Amino acid sequence: MKKWKLLSMLLVICMVFSLAACGDSAAPAAEGGEGSSDEPIVIGVISPNTGALAAYGNGIVTGVDLAVEEINAAGGILGRPVEVIKTDDQSDPTECLNAFNSLVSQGVGLIIGSATSGCTSAITDAANEEEVCLLSPTATADSITTEDDYIFRACYADSFQGAIAAAYAKQAGYEKVGVVYCAADVYSKGLFDSFSSACAEYGVEVVASESTASLDVQDYTNQFTSMVTAGVDFVYAPFYYDVIGPYVVPQARAAGYTGVIMGADGYDTTPDYVVEGADLTAFNDVYWTNHYDPSDTSEKVSSFVSAYEAKYGSIPSAFGATGYDCVYMYKAAIEAAGTDESSAVRDALADTSAVYECVTGTFSLDESGTPVKGAAIISFVSDGSAVTSKLVDVVTELP
Amino acid sequence: MKKNKTGFGYLLNTIVIILLFTAFQIITGIFGSQGSFKLVVVPCLWQCCYLIILAASLNLVLGFLGQLSLGHCGFMAIGAYTAALLSLACERAELFTKKEGAVFILILFGCIIAAGLLSALVGLLVGVPALRLKGDYLAIITLGFGMIIVNIINNLPFCGQDGLAQGSAAASLYKNGLGFGSKDKVAYIWVALLVTILCLTLMFMFIRSKYGRAIKAIRDDEIAASASGINTSYYKVFTFAYSAFFAGIAGALYACANATLSTSSFAFTNGGILNSTFVVVMVVLGGMGSITGSVVAAVIMFLVNYQIKNGAWVTALSASVQGVFEYPMLVYAIVLIVVILFRPKGIFGTYEFSLMNLRRDVKASLARKSAERAERKGAKSHG
Repeated sequence: MKKWKLLSMLLVICMVFSLAACGDSAAPAAEGGEGSSDEPIVIGVISPNTGALAAYGNGIVTGVDLAVEEINAAGGILGRPVEVIKTDDQSDPTECLNAFNSLVSQGVGLIIGSATSGCTSAITDAANEEEVCLLSPTATADSITTEDDYIFRACYADSFQGAIAAAYAKQAGYEKVGVVYCAADVYSKGLFDSFSSACAEYGVEVVASESTASLDVQDYTNQFTSMVTAGVDFVYAPFYYDVIGPYVVPQARAAGYTGVIMGADGYDTTPDYVVEGADLTAFNDVYWTNHYDPSDTSEKVSSFVSAYEAKYGSIPSAFGATGYDCVYMYKAAIEAAGTDESSAVRDALADTSAVYECVTGTFSLDESGTPVKGAAIISFVSDGSAVTSKLVDVVTELP
Repeated sequence: MKKNKTGFGYLLNTIVIILLFTAFQIITGIFGSQGSFKLVVVPCLWQCCYLIILAASLNLVLGFLGQLSLGHCGFMAIGAYTAALLSLACERAELFTKKEGAVFILILFGCIIAAGLLSALVGLLVGVPALRLKGDYLAIITLGFGMIIVNIINNLPFCGQDGLAQGSAAASLYKNGLGFGSKDKVAYIWVALLVTILCLTLMFMFIRSKYGRAIKAIRDDEIAASASGINTSYYKVFTFAYSAFFAGIAGALYACANATLSTSSFAFTNGGILNSTFVVVMVVLGGMGSITGSVVAAVIMFLVNYQIKNGAWVTALSASVQGVFEYPMLVYAIVLIVVILFRPKGIFGTYEFSLMNLRRDVKASLARKSAERAERKGAKSHG
């Protein structure tokens, strides 16, 4: 009996280790220190590396790693090497706060994190109380950053992203539009609010709006049937990549909807999630707003994309790009402050005249700590065999 | 004679608890402002407190009543949102502006009790129809209930981003009237400890009362129990609601420990330690039918979860072990498999840790062990 137990234990351990071996073993935190006697500058990263939104965490971590590697190869910041401590929040607010506290108790004063607005909002108060800089790569909810605090971000806010879509609808000549969204989610609901209020401002009428029960429902036929009944040719549908590819777009076309479907940065990586064998021409006339366009030919973007591809073998998502940008924003702020002490770095980041030249655009931060930058409007193009992205327009200012 | 002994037990426990409590207050006074105490020890204690109450309250249903409930986090969600929204309402009405003073403490305890009461009420409403079923069927009903609660909260207009009647429904409640920052957590750690001790005492008293004996009889044989004149459905529903009451209180403490609430934290698919399956795991790990076992298991599960992600010693381990630690769910699974393989009845079984009987229990356990050893030796020499 005991032998069997030991044997089964052994099997379990074997299985676990083989599973762990399948996952890419993370490179140990960038070790610096060669040729420099100075203490390394430590940056903490909080991201959802496991759990439902692991793809986001993975994007951020790879982007940060790439940036730190480049900076260290070029001699570090202020001649000091950069070291990264990575923590996992499993996209849960409590775990996020634990990770934050653990980083602060290790003496980290500069933190990049976290990916979602829900998690980030759990640590904003704590960051202000502990006087630790918090730079979020992708927390887009409007209420994350306020004036006079330690919270900054490298992405635009939801109110801007929704308005961009409304401006596009106006510009393209659509008078009547429809919305399919999820009322139970911060992201989707926030975008719906900003889209509809911007529509009112631009004189575009929202004639039909339909909500889903949650962000991961798999049937959108009824919603799009009522869009067809309402006679709209432009539907705003803010969802994430995991439902856009397999469900939303194919079902909308199947329901007889032939007009434009527009979305937001959640559409990133959709081409990886389309169903094989499905009619991919359905993805024509799908537009979305993003933080950057990977096919941009500017020197900054193309060198980032090629370096990322050389290191990881894939096209960087917007999360990789904003994670990469966060490190360079800290670099610029530390160099401006002349020290890595958190309150000095905070003052440097709060300086609204500082200009950051980043992959996701050249921008400066406004009073609240949100970048004033444009969004790329991207469309999917498909000839039936594959879905590719094409840049339509870069909008820097709302009309 | 027996009554005197029980009285003595309560007295002994009270004295020890008061001593420990004072000692802890002194330690807090001395180290309260220091970094690692404030940032690591105190937040961990808060989380341990609500996990302990949650696990112990589920043990009432799972261990003592013998009914599998997979929706316990639903009650916790109700408690958390009730406490958070009530306190926000009080803050908006300017009943308190700073998190200090007698009024705030009164509101704090009011919110905690209200959270428990609302959860108990919902527990009653769910329990009446659900407890007509048994075993797997009840598990599925409670599982569904947990999901329903999360979806209802998501779609209630006043549970929106900034709380009561501010903005429409969303998965997160950004501001939370109770939500303590690091300094307040140190200042109010006594609330968490006091509430935990009170809840555990109430649960112990329940188990030792006529009610406790009745539900244990129902667990062992429902037909025999009802034949002996026990109103089984009454006791079952009562225990369910009583357990939901404490889950609601655990939720209120959760709201205190977090500045923000998100329904996804209570959802069945939550990847962290806080989901209904994990609470069941804690109860099984500690021993079904042992409140002290649940306390120990909750602390162990919390420490495993916390240490593998944030422990400083992890970096000292070899790369392959660190690779496993990157997937926390794997580690919980190993812990569970090890315990169930080598000790199927859980860490404590049905044993209750007791200060008064500690000497007697240790002696009995040693005697049993040596007897077992002697028996095995005897068996060997014979065989």
